[in-house]
Amino acid sequence: MTKQKLGTEFQMKKSKDPFEIAFVEQDESPSESPTGPDENEAQTPDPSTSATASNPVRTAGPTGKSKEEDEEEEEDNMDVELGKLPSSSDPDKTAIMQTILSQFTEKQMSRYESFRRSGFQKSNMKRLLTSITGSAKISMPMTIVVSGIAKMFVGELVETARIVMAERKESGPIRPCHMREAYRRLKLEGKIPKRSMPRLFR
Amino acid sequence: MFQKDLQHMMYGFGDDQNPLPETVALVEDIVVEYVTDLVYKAQDTASKRGKLLTEDFLFLIRKDVPKLNRCTELLSMNEELKQARKAFEVDEEKLATID
Repeated sequence: MTKQKLGTEFQMKKSKDPFEIAFVEQDESPSESPTGPDENEAQTPDPSTSATASNPVRTAGPTGKSKEEDEEEEEDNMDVELGKLPSSSDPDKTAIMQTILSQFTEKQMSRYESFRRSGFQKSNMKRLLTSITGSAKISMPMTIVVSGIAKMFVGELVETARIVMAERKESGPIRPCHMREAYRRLKLEGKIPKRSMPRLFR
Repeated sequence: MFQKDLQHMMYGFGDDQNPLPETVALVEDIVVEYVTDLVYKAQDTASKRGKLLTEDFLFLIRKDVPKLNRCTELLSMNEELKQARKAFEVDEEKLATID
C-alpha cells in the first residue's frame, strides 16, 4: 500500500501537468476511482478526486497565460498542491466538492485552477524573510506558513476590493483606488498588524 | 519580486485575467509591508525565547480562524510528504541492495 501511494506521488513529481496525469489515470480506470480514496484517504495525493476535477481543465486548455512555464516553476509545489484536498477527511464534503467542480464552466475552472496552484515562490519568500529578520535561519515550515498567510491575505484584499467595486457599481480589472479602499477597510477591521512604534527607516 | 505569482493569485481570487500592473505593484507593496510587520511582531514574541520559530507566526494569527486552519493544514501536509519521501529513500536503498 505504501508502494502504491509512493508510486502515484512519484509519477506526479515527474509529470509537468499533474492534472493531465490524473486525467489519464481516470481514463484508464474510471470504475476503480471510489476504491482509490478509501485506500489512500489518510495519506497524500488522491488522484481520483483531482481527476474528476481535471476533465474540464483538459478541454479548456491554457487561457492566454503561459501556464506551462508556471507549471515547471511550480513543480516543487505541485505535490503539496494536489495533496491539499478541499476537505481532507470528510467524505461528504469531498463528494459535495466533486459535484460542484464537475459543474464548473471553463472560465470558472480556469479561475479555480489559478486559485489552487498560485502561490509565492518559496525561494523569493525565503529571501524576503531573511532580509527582514537579518538572520539566516529561516526554516522551510516557516516559509510555508508565511506564504500561506500571505496568500490568504491577498485573497482578503482582492475580495474586499471586489466588494468595493460592486458598491461603486464599477466593473473591469481592479484599480489601485479600489485596492487602497480595500486595504483601508481591512485596517479598520483589524486584520492588518500594526506597529505601535513609529518606523524610523522606510 | 512577486509580480508573476501575484497576477495568477489575483486572478484566482476574483480579479481580471490580466490584472492592471499598477494594481499588482500596489498589492506587492501591501503584502511586503504586511509580511514585514508580521515578522516584526513575531520577533517581539520570540525575543523572550531567543529564536524565531514557526509557532510565533501561529500565535500571531490565532484569532484569524481561517488562516490558522490553513496553516495547520499546510504544516501537516508538509509532515506527511516528508515521511513519504523518507520512506521512498528507504525503499530505494532496499532495491539497491537487492541488485
